[in-house]
Amino acid sequence: MAVEKYGGYAGKILIVNLTTKKVHVKELSDGFVRTYLGGNGFAARLLYDMIDPRVDAYDPTNAIAFMTGPMQGTTMPTAGKYYVASKSPLTNGYFDSVSGGFIGFLMKYAGYDGIVVTGRADKPVYLYVHGKGEVEIRDASHLWGKMTSETQQAIKEEIGDPFAMVSAIGPAGENLVRYACIITEYRAAGRGGMGAVMGSKKLKAVAVGSDGTQEVKIANWEKYQEFLEWLNEEIKKNPATGKGLPTYGTPILVKSIGVQFGAMGTRNHQFEFDPNFNYENISGEKLNAEYLVKHMACPLCPIGCSKVFKDTKGKWKDAQSEGPEYETLYAFGSMCYIDDLGAIIKADALCDEYGLDTISYGVTLSFLMECYEKGLIDDSFTDGIKLNFGNDDALVNLVEKVALRQGLGDKIAEGSKRLARLIGQGSEQFAIHAKGLEIPGHSARALRGMSLGYATATRGGSHHDPRPTGEYAGASDRTAVEGKAEWVIGTQRFTLLGDSMVICHFLERVLGYTPTEHYVKMINVVTGFDWSFEELIAYCDRIWALERCFNIKAGMRRVDDTIPRRFLTEPIPEGASKGMYTDEATLNKMLDEYYELRGYDKKLGIPKKETLQKLGLADVAEDLEKYIYA
Amino acid sequence: MTTTAVVEKKPNIVLNPKLCVFCKTCEIACAERHEKTYVYAPRLRIVRRGHASLRLHTCIRCPQRYCIDSCDRGALSYANGNIVVDLEKCDGCGACVKACPFKGITLHPSTGKAIVCDLCGGDPACIKACPVGALSLKWIEERRG
Repeated sequence: MAVEKYGGYAGKILIVNLTTKKVHVKELSDGFVRTYLGGNGFAARLLYDMIDPRVDAYDPTNAIAFMTGPMQGTTMPTAGKYYVASKSPLTNGYFDSVSGGFIGFLMKYAGYDGIVVTGRADKPVYLYVHGKGEVEIRDASHLWGKMTSETQQAIKEEIGDPFAMVSAIGPAGENLVRYACIITEYRAAGRGGMGAVMGSKKLKAVAVGSDGTQEVKIANWEKYQEFLEWLNEEIKKNPATGKGLPTYGTPILVKSIGVQFGAMGTRNHQFEFDPNFNYENISGEKLNAEYLVKHMACPLCPIGCSKVFKDTKGKWKDAQSEGPEYETLYAFGSMCYIDDLGAIIKADALCDEYGLDTISYGVTLSFLMECYEKGLIDDSFTDGIKLNFGNDDALVNLVEKVALRQGLGDKIAEGSKRLARLIGQGSEQFAIHAKGLEIPGHSARALRGMSLGYATATRGGSHHDPRPTGEYAGASDRTAVEGKAEWVIGTQRFTLLGDSMVICHFLERVLGYTPTEHYVKMINVVTGFDWSFEELIAYCDRIWALERCFNIKAGMRRVDDTIPRRFLTEPIPEGASKGMYTDEATLNKMLDEYYELRGYDKKLGIPKKETLQKLGLADVAEDLEKYIYA
Repeated sequence: MTTTAVVEKKPNIVLNPKLCVFCKTCEIACAERHEKTYVYAPRLRIVRRGHASLRLHTCIRCPQRYCIDSCDRGALSYANGNIVVDLEKCDGCGACVKACPFKGITLHPSTGKAIVCDLCGGDPACIKACPVGALSLKWIEERRG
């Protein structure tokens, strides 16, 4: 193993081709780990080299990467996560999603920093990675069509390892719903249709055994212990990570974002605060008081923001789910205008079982509701369902229809961008997506940084490319235009770094909204690198540029760096953020500044040759040149 | 005929499933204490069923001593409230693992020998590491005779 002098790595990546059933183990070199760090970096480089970005996301040559970073296997707080990346069927660009789950730890202990799956099996299969490192491609015909929890349990019994971890797709992934997710326990690698990519490969699940023998080393044990002690203390002291999130989970944001900021999309963003909607009814306080069953946490997380909620009374009695999170309360609640928590919990549980991304599903449904109320579609389009805002039966019952692609569900399964194209009649104006990915519950109008952030994000409408937290907290003025490009680049660097180490973005409140010396220390004590702050920034910009080059090859240009027309033309009508929005001229001004700072071409948004060379991506620059002018 | 029952007090690790958040910090802390590095060889494991059902699997120092009886090589014994593994005698056959109905004894993934909770000599690392105070040490009485 070439990288055994560094801590935090297993040193090998497993590459499985499901078409040929061949398994290849890639040894990581010294240069590779120092250039690409882990998680996001590893996946971006491997996928850039393996995939032709022009192919369809469901093409067998597309690949899906399950990755870990140097923190998995250690007791670094919030390290209990794993990272998935592929070409997305929703955005047609590079996409990644991070999920809580012990499978990342087991992967590392089994001796692999990551698993890349390419090709397509001729019948349903699942991948079983033994703790000792052997790999089996097993038949999954009998699991096809099964729910995610059932699948995980069945596989654990089949391999005879109750402590193993399984990441599985549900019927939604099998039926290529464009926003199908991957479920581990009850946590989801939710966004961008990673589950659909697995479905297209006929890969039902990835299972990793619990008998791994790989030791995960720490480069500097004393400094590492010191850092842990300090970090755990800071997490406890911080009011958000020490109290708010452990007590209420992410639903605590409903009242502050919805009421205090007036920035929670309501009725498909016709409002961001609607005086007629009772935000109190979907608030974290109400969930905590009336629905809470149990606090949960991702592995190795001292914050523990996950909650199990159950409805014990009312119309949806006995509905139980881990979640809903804030984003689900936004997508199902305020967006679809539903304030019955029982219905939201029920729909959330069904989405977990069928394997659907709740944000994309809820936002697409609310888009359809607006079309229906505006008379752009009629009952023949909706199979007779009265798709008015507030229809909780539709929200719950359509989950199955979408996952199985039946009737109206088949259309919803395509996501809002493609639906708007189908419906036409000016509905593109209010299709709430960026690059095809539905926008989550952090306003692009009330937070200036998010407008530029969503526009320039590799993934489009994701709140984990740019981060809203700093603007809520006042670390950056949320109305400012000056200096916003720099702030956005900072938060994008942070998310990229978090996804490379594969730690939780909630640590931003403790360690900094944009990269700080703390992150340098975190990497150095575990791996034993001697990175400086400048090297850290260069790393972030390198991977960001690499992802961008993937998208450029897939056909994206500056014109794709935009936000929904509604956000560019309609000011927020009510509430604390009344009147706010970013018009096209302002967005273009910020974009110009953004590309300038990034060293990208302003006309097309393509990274300049000298920028790529400076970042150590000379081969990519050459490749891009060949491709663009060919 | 009557025999005199021997009453003995012994400590045990118990889980409060209501408090446990299933973060597995205890498992990694256990492995760290015993192995002095990060490898997945915990002496206790928590398993989740459904949304909210959690169970602790570790040695409960049962009076039946299923593991000791199952070992043909006499590698297991009981001393001072703990099951003790004689590493010389243990050949990793796994009979004890099969015999234990509590999934309390497992085989070390690297060495292949039996591993079982030893309460860290009275100061269990798992209890210290638990961020929510769900694990505790409980003294139980045992009657044997």
